[in-house]
Amino acid sequence: MTAESKKGARILQIAKAVIFAFMGIRKKSDLEQDAATLKPSELIIGGIIGAIIFVVSIILIVRMVVS
Amino acid sequence: MAAVHGDAHGHGHDDHHPSGIMRWITTTNHKDIGTMYLWFSFAMFLTGGTLALGIRAELFQPGIQILQPELFNQFTTLHGLIMVFGAIMPAFVGFANWQVPLMIGAPDMAFARMNNWSFWLLPVAATLLVSSFFVPGGAAAGGWTFYPPLSTQGGLGVDLMIFAVHILGASSIMGSINIITTILNMRAPGMTLMKMPMFVWTWLITAYLLVLVMPVLAGVVTMLLTDRHFGTSFFNAAGGGDPVMFQHIFWFFGHPEVYIMILPSFGIVSEVIPTFSRKPLFGYASMVYATASIAILSCVVWAHHMFTAGMPTVGQLFFMYATMLIAVPTGVKVFNWTATMWQGSMSFETPMLFAIGFIFLFVIGGFSGVICAIVPIDIQVQDTYYVIAHFHYVLVSGSLFALFAGAYYWIPKWTGRMYNETLGKWHFWLSMFFFNLTFFVQHFLGLAGMPRRIPDYNLQFADFNMVSSIGAFGFGLTQLLFLYVMISCIRSGEKAPQNPWDGATTLEWTHLPTPAPYHSFEKPPVVK
Repeated sequence: MTAESKKGARILQIAKAVIFAFMGIRKKSDLEQDAATLKPSELIIGGIIGAIIFVVSIILIVRMVVS
Repeated sequence: MAAVHGDAHGHGHDDHHPSGIMRWITTTNHKDIGTMYLWFSFAMFLTGGTLALGIRAELFQPGIQILQPELFNQFTTLHGLIMVFGAIMPAFVGFANWQVPLMIGAPDMAFARMNNWSFWLLPVAATLLVSSFFVPGGAAAGGWTFYPPLSTQGGLGVDLMIFAVHILGASSIMGSINIITTILNMRAPGMTLMKMPMFVWTWLITAYLLVLVMPVLAGVVTMLLTDRHFGTSFFNAAGGGDPVMFQHIFWFFGHPEVYIMILPSFGIVSEVIPTFSRKPLFGYASMVYATASIAILSCVVWAHHMFTAGMPTVGQLFFMYATMLIAVPTGVKVFNWTATMWQGSMSFETPMLFAIGFIFLFVIGGFSGVICAIVPIDIQVQDTYYVIAHFHYVLVSGSLFALFAGAYYWIPKWTGRMYNETLGKWHFWLSMFFFNLTFFVQHFLGLAGMPRRIPDYNLQFADFNMVSSIGAFGFGLTQLLFLYVMISCIRSGEKAPQNPWDGATTLEWTHLPTPAPYHSFEKPPVVK
């Protein structure tokens, strides 16, 4: 696996962890994998980006509804 | 003391604490400080409860009988402030002080002296709040949210309240820094983050929320103070300020505050339900994620408290959608608790009764919350008794019931004695009955249009108000039963077995004697 694709897989894993966190569900095996491989700082940054995406997407939905 | 302990601990062991009152003033022991937090919060609970009974006595009948309107407004304001900042929050910090070190295998809190300081600030703030009734003009009367212009116009009582809030905020920030540091740095070997008990997880997330929003509250009350005394016009329209800005800043603190008061109770319930179902918590990982999710969402929904204050439709819809989405992670939690009980070999001791009562009634409070989140409905029920009913279902049958569950659950570990199970069950059933008698009818009052914070009302509201007042006095008296159960447990309860709950699996039950010794985990346990 190249360094590029490794980085991509890691970002994907962070994104998955954050998305599941927002719904509040996660499989135990996935969680253990997250805890073993991801750093807390990565998750916090991922969470903040996730929150921004969440807010922006609600704003977009609201604009769609009122337009 | 020295004769007893000196020779056994010749190397300057810190067991030489002074006796009498100085023991409590100078203590740095997390158990002593936890105990003081709990007694303080119970005293405040009785104080705030007395104010509530004053309110309900006045509302027993239409017309003005007992409290003049000015005093009535002071009662509602101080009832809210004392219950939120004096009773519920310190009670949870008390639980954190006692339980976090015991549950993660740490010998004490990280900053033991700061811990003492954060507690001893509380009686000072409480004195300011209570004494404000006796200054010229009386206590603050603009509601616990102290919106301007009422709060910029009030008398000395408002200043005392502002200082009290400053002090309470400082205490909370120090307490949360202490809790975060303890959890992150002092866990026993092998206790990874994902092995921590749920109560510790919920407190870790709550502490971060506190550090985030308490400075916002401190900022807004300081702006209020400078508006009152130093010629600024942050919230004064005549000087170019904006009173609605106060509401935005206040609720940016205020809504996470709601979750600060409920997340630790989720933690307590997540300990009690598995113990009495004799099964591990269903979906531990989901619970952790849901708690984090609720904490993040709680920071982007604040303006649902001010739909009627004037807001563009886009804003109303944004806050409505975001608020309704909180029901998703909360639903995950309720599902997990229910699934934990499913096919468990359940028993119904008092802690379990309070935990189940919590789930049942908190769900009602949660649903009425979703109803209030819907803008067109909220515009109808804004500032009515419907909102009062909603948040009392969340804070009394939510936070308070969880606190009772926790107190009954851990009192054997704290004191080495058992409480009276029969009286405990009486306490639960009477609380359950009178709580619903008090607050369920307030839904009807609110839907019929009765506004909050009024000492008098139209005749059409008379019957339900009478029912509610009877319920409130019943509920208040029932809490004296709790006091009696606790005192008789501490003084003369039966000796508790090592582990009175055979389903309990956390460190304090498996690795420590009952009662927990004054110094525990001096050598950290190894968690597998």
